[in-house]
Amino acid sequence: MAREHWSERLQRFDRRWIFLVMAVAVVVPLYFPLGLPARPDPMTKAAYNAVEALPTCQLDPVTHQPVPGSPRCARVFISIDLDPASTPEVEPFYRAVVLHLKRKHAQLVIATTWYQAPPLVERYLRETLDVAIAPAGTDGYAGAPDRAYERNVDYVNLGFRDGKGAIIQQFGTDLRSAFDGRADDGTPLDRIPMMQGLNKLKDFDLIVLVSAGSPGAKEYVQFVGTREKLPMVAACTAVSTTDLAPYFQTGQLVGLVGGMAGSAGYENLVGKPGAGTAGADVLNIANLVVIAAIIFGNVVFFAGRAHRRRGGRS
Amino acid sequence: MTALPWIDIVGYWIGIFITFCCLSFLYKDNPFYKLIEHLFIGVSVGYLIVLQYGENIEPKVVDAIFGGGVDGAWLALRVVALVLVVMMFAKVLQPRWAWLGRYPLAFVVAFYAGLQVNAVAQAELGEQIKFSAGSIDAPKVDLNHAEPEALTALPGSSPAIATKWIAERAQRPFASLDDAITRASLSPLERGDLAAARGSLVGLDAKAAVSPGHHDGFGIVSNLLLLAGLLASLVYFYFSVAHRGPIGGISRFGVWTLMIGFGASFGLTVQGRISLAIGRAYDVLGRTLAPEDAARVHGPLVSLVSIGLITAGILIWERRTRDRGEGPGADGES
Repeated sequence: MAREHWSERLQRFDRRWIFLVMAVAVVVPLYFPLGLPARPDPMTKAAYNAVEALPTCQLDPVTHQPVPGSPRCARVFISIDLDPASTPEVEPFYRAVVLHLKRKHAQLVIATTWYQAPPLVERYLRETLDVAIAPAGTDGYAGAPDRAYERNVDYVNLGFRDGKGAIIQQFGTDLRSAFDGRADDGTPLDRIPMMQGLNKLKDFDLIVLVSAGSPGAKEYVQFVGTREKLPMVAACTAVSTTDLAPYFQTGQLVGLVGGMAGSAGYENLVGKPGAGTAGADVLNIANLVVIAAIIFGNVVFFAGRAHRRRGGRS
Repeated sequence: MTALPWIDIVGYWIGIFITFCCLSFLYKDNPFYKLIEHLFIGVSVGYLIVLQYGENIEPKVVDAIFGGGVDGAWLALRVVALVLVVMMFAKVLQPRWAWLGRYPLAFVVAFYAGLQVNAVAQAELGEQIKFSAGSIDAPKVDLNHAEPEALTALPGSSPAIATKWIAERAQRPFASLDDAITRASLSPLERGDLAAARGSLVGLDAKAAVSPGHHDGFGIVSNLLLLAGLLASLVYFYFSVAHRGPIGGISRFGVWTLMIGFGASFGLTVQGRISLAIGRAYDVLGRTLAPEDAARVHGPLVSLVSIGLITAGILIWERRTRDRGEGPGADGES
């Protein structure tokens, strides 16, 4: 019996070995980080610049009210449209951009159009707005410290609304009626001072979209962004990046943060490396494994074909 | 910071166990995977029903109609919506009434078609065609005359740098790029960013100049390539002419352009999937928690216990399956 060629043996290679190698590649760098650089790409840099260009108001340190002569505080709408599966990719961006916005004392209005998001949003608000993310003396952080925000004073959570593109279109025309005139905790929006003059998306200085899919950044661009010429930055999963990148080229999005690598870049720009930066380190190693697997598969395939052409067994 | 409540710790344990139940599919389809699969569907549907009732049906239908919250035309509209919903479920009561369900479906399809046609025409066609039909010229940004937005968009730049450049050039125009990136008002960090962004192909040197009339050669080549790729891709989808000769060559170039696009999508999809694995590894190892909470969750220990339980369970299941003389069923090697 003729001896089996090595390429034929390897073509029956159990793919679960690759999964095991990938698991090792994911877990080991978490224990032994390599600190590979996570440089922001131009789209991420543009998103950072859009936030950076917002006015920074000067606040009284006791009352937290703008001091006379200060520029007005920026007003930013954040749509958090994600589910648990997409958090590794876009949550680091959310945390970094909220810190960035808090450093500028921006007033935030938060909403979501994903039914899976409300429990996550509540947790994010507790962890990023109700407390300081980077108070003075935070290890490894040299930027300006932020402070705890007060609900319905510095930020408003409008909560969840179903309706996909239709509800996003309504945000563009009448944000208040889309939420029946109330915040998520039932407070009438008319009684919240920071909501004065905020009736539709056009009234905000910037729209930040933490978008894991549909409805999300694409629908915001299609239903309101293009028509109203809204300044919008989006963070999306890596899968969606190629779909949304054309919107950045045309200026329909002023910044785009794609996947975990983009989030890591944004964290670095803000100056507080977090889960995105650590994850990007792992991502680099895992990408090398994928490249090695592709090369391995091709070598086996072409070697097998060459062997067959030389008259070996098929 | 308050310590993690016990219920959340138990939640993390369940999450870790469920993660390994899902991963057990890599061995083969098994009762642990089936359990989690059914649990996921059940929890998702239950959560969605409760949320939809609380967010939509109760306030907009039940309260509005029976609570007297609205009247007149608004009340009539909500009654119509309720009737449409009931029509959706008609075939559940009697299959021969299935045709009633077509009316609400037609309403939904027409509603979203109306929304989409306008939105897509404006955002997808209009803007994209406008961009694609733009000039292929790529002039360099003149640091001595450009608007703040153009200065901000340069490699290594920022709104703060743009503001400083405008102030600097008002005092003394820039004589060279080296002069622009070493002005005194720029901080060492900003100078470092600009220096790191230098480069004659796609860097600052390629995009900026200190006088008008300069062009970015690589940018022009990029625009030409984009235009050629776009036209060739369109030719590939033009089926009224046989794809032979020159048309065949152009079509072939279009295929390559599309393949490059699909390749980028595939690469990013792989990145996304790896990110999912990283996210689960973070949760399992307690990296998303504060160190004191992670110490209470004992992620690695719970992982080992979960793996042990699942392995023992699968061994018992395999033995029972073998004893009954059944095949192992569908395995993971699909």
